[in-house]
Amino acid sequence: MKETMFIDPQRCIGCRSCVAACRECSTHKGYSMIHLDYIDRRETTATMPTVCMHCEEPTCALVCPADAIKMSEDGVVMSALKPRCIDCRNCVNACPFGVPKYNSEIHLQMKCDMCFDRTSEGLKPMCASVCPTGAISFGTYEQIVPLRRTKPVKSHVFGNQRVETKVYLMLPTDAEEVSVDGCGVFEGKVAVDAHEDHESWMESQSQEANKANEF
Amino acid sequence: MTGERQISTMNYGSSTLLGVAAAALLTVLVMVGSRNLENYDSALFGYTVASVVAFGAIVYRYALWLQRPATRIYWKRGWQLYRQRNKFVKNTGSAAKTFFGNIVAQKFIFKRGFNRWLMHFLIAWGCVLSAMVTFPLVFGWVHFELEGDLGYRAYLFGFPLQLMDGRSLQAWVTFHALDFTAVMVIAGCAIAIHRRLHDRGAIALQQFLLDFVPHLLLIAISVSGLMLTASSLWFQGYMYSFISLSHQAIVIMTLFYLPFGKLFHIVQRPASIGVELYQKNSAELTRALCPRCKTDFAGQMWIDDLNKVVSELGFDYTMPDGTKLQDYCPRCKRVMRGLAYSGLANKSDGVFQGARAAAAKD
Repeated sequence: MKETMFIDPQRCIGCRSCVAACRECSTHKGYSMIHLDYIDRRETTATMPTVCMHCEEPTCALVCPADAIKMSEDGVVMSALKPRCIDCRNCVNACPFGVPKYNSEIHLQMKCDMCFDRTSEGLKPMCASVCPTGAISFGTYEQIVPLRRTKPVKSHVFGNQRVETKVYLMLPTDAEEVSVDGCGVFEGKVAVDAHEDHESWMESQSQEANKANEF
Repeated sequence: MTGERQISTMNYGSSTLLGVAAAALLTVLVMVGSRNLENYDSALFGYTVASVVAFGAIVYRYALWLQRPATRIYWKRGWQLYRQRNKFVKNTGSAAKTFFGNIVAQKFIFKRGFNRWLMHFLIAWGCVLSAMVTFPLVFGWVHFELEGDLGYRAYLFGFPLQLMDGRSLQAWVTFHALDFTAVMVIAGCAIAIHRRLHDRGAIALQQFLLDFVPHLLLIAISVSGLMLTASSLWFQGYMYSFISLSHQAIVIMTLFYLPFGKLFHIVQRPASIGVELYQKNSAELTRALCPRCKTDFAGQMWIDDLNKVVSELGFDYTMPDGTKLQDYCPRCKRVMRGLAYSGLANKSDGVFQGARAAAAKD
């Protein structure tokens, strides 16, 4: 599969179409695997859509004691194999992007698997097919990149660790990667009261407020 | 690349030794349990050899599996927590409850859906009960002797058990136990195959070797087993030896498939008891607070163990302030990445000025 996802957060308008559409995917029926977070609700309405970035060396798969998370030949990191997942949730806390979700009731971890049921049939993933602004796009590099002024990168640096991914993030600058090296601030304003931030009404209504990723 | 990180820490030699030792131990137990093969049925020799080899292979695979950094730490910590003196009784009770809920009743599958639970319950218990009947018979640990005209006496490891009337309901149920379990397995596999042929999600993810072969093997074993009963009961033993040989061949194939295929979860799954014990204990100990939002999102012991595993795998997620990325709750990790992204934009760039501003400049 030459196609992949291109995530362009600056295009995201927080409409949550992707979140709703994701629930329709047959491999995780009824549960959305997309995260849409406000990055600093006091300062900005900016939202960050997070799908699985499908790491080339997935930390989630490597920390899985049951060897339940497998990669497809195309580099898609799949949800945990149902017979193997023993609900340890290592993957949930190990993932540098905060992606995998879990449900202890059914002993299962689930995550975005790039709509394997659709992409294996030549269709776009649910999120990419409904995103009205192109914040989440699916296609080949040759199809998507010439249409954008943003720069596609597939490299993140978390502290001392570089993580290469199958999914591209579209950057508004010439930077080669995104560097995450701390709690982060928005436009120079320190989010001193990050822990006092109230959950947004939208988050509480859509049951996205669980910070430990339980669905 | 994923494999390289994992394989570099694997020791195949010790796993092989453990596997060979386990196979040797089972052989000795067959000798001892059958009283020096006195009660051993030589017609079942093929099954015995296959069982011994498969057992060795299962132990080999299990030992390799325990070498994964994450598995090893859960295994060690699970036993360590279980053996705590002041909590031994509580832990035993909790483990027993988990065993009943997860392994016996399989409640978590019920919550995934009734049909899935029914399918899994029928297959699992059909197979387990069959194994509980057949393996002791194959190893010569259980045998029956005729006493009088209609009396049957079962012997366990050569010790006599109660005498039963060969025409009683108890005897009928005992001698047809494998027929009942065969029906359970066939019904369960039928539900599973129906789902795999109709469920879009399952169709997308399933693989023939992983998801269909085990069901086909189990159906083949069950049907050929039922054919043996039918041949002896109603067809005067017609084709009995051919059916018996086919049955044996399929059973042996399944035994060899056991350590390396989907069915390995039968031996792997009980580990969830240890994981649940670990999680429960971890929840009662010091809690990990996310350094950013101060949310209590996991046990501190768990996060510390996870950080050890992550660094043992060769990752270094140490942040400039000395914290590890895994110390943060999943949501904060996403937000931190979002903030890092938002900080990249150069607001003097034309792209942020809009078409009118750009036109005004011109």
